[in-house]
Amino acid sequence: MADKVCLQPCLGLRKEAVLGRQALYVVHEDLLPDQTVLGCGPALNANVQEDIDFINLYPVLAVEACDLDCATKLVDKKQKQAARTVRITDLAEELHLDIESLPEDHIDAGDPAVQAVAKKIAEHVSELLASG
Amino acid sequence: MTEEHDFKVAVLPCNGIGRLVSTVVRLAGYRIKKMRPDEVVLLSSGRLAVKESEHLAAFEKYPVLVIDGCRPHCASFMADELGKTPAARVYVADVAAENRISIAGEKRRGLTEKGMKLAEALANKAVAEIDRVIADEMLSTL
Repeated sequence: MADKVCLQPCLGLRKEAVLGRQALYVVHEDLLPDQTVLGCGPALNANVQEDIDFINLYPVLAVEACDLDCATKLVDKKQKQAARTVRITDLAEELHLDIESLPEDHIDAGDPAVQAVAKKIAEHVSELLASG
Repeated sequence: MTEEHDFKVAVLPCNGIGRLVSTVVRLAGYRIKKMRPDEVVLLSSGRLAVKESEHLAAFEKYPVLVIDGCRPHCASFMADELGKTPAARVYVADVAAENRISIAGEKRRGLTEKGMKLAEALANKAVAEIDRVIADEMLSTL
């Protein structure tokens, strides 16, 4: 049974990607530091050993900014499958977040939208860990 | 008859997440686009890694500038993987050394003035490279 989950974000350029990225810092550094590792997409693509180890050792929670699902596809490219894929667009809808009102390039980690998305992602992590 | 040219540079920042320099690179990427809005196509490393068609087309069409944040040089790896030699490369450590900027103590979730200074220096260096690449392209058509 896995004791950690690998958080694998899309790392795109759009607002949803920035929101997801900031939320993952909150999950990894504040909410569940001992139960998560933070996977870096370009490093995984470049076969950096740490990032290859992450997807081999732990179930992967891919956090996507849009329906292109690039993080999920990147994990596929490395011959593994994400245990679960969540999209920031879906979480934003569920949480009634107004993405348009968020700043363009950087969203503070303390922003209520970041905190709310982080809590949702942390719930997904806990579910994955509980499901073994 | 005049020949139409489309002088742009595709900028590929690594846009990683794991290190402090990842945030510097990401914010520099946005700044570069703002400094040269008509000459820059900002690429997403996530999309390019899985060969998303729109990004791949821009990558193939234009000269590429890669921005690497840390030692694995993941943006350079991606360009190599896709079979293209970048027209220019910028590495954060080089810019930090050239400008004698230390970002020790900064946090990857958000930069203060010190970190933003490095992002700005990185963007300036990249824009100088972009201008050089475009000038080279333009002159080659004369």
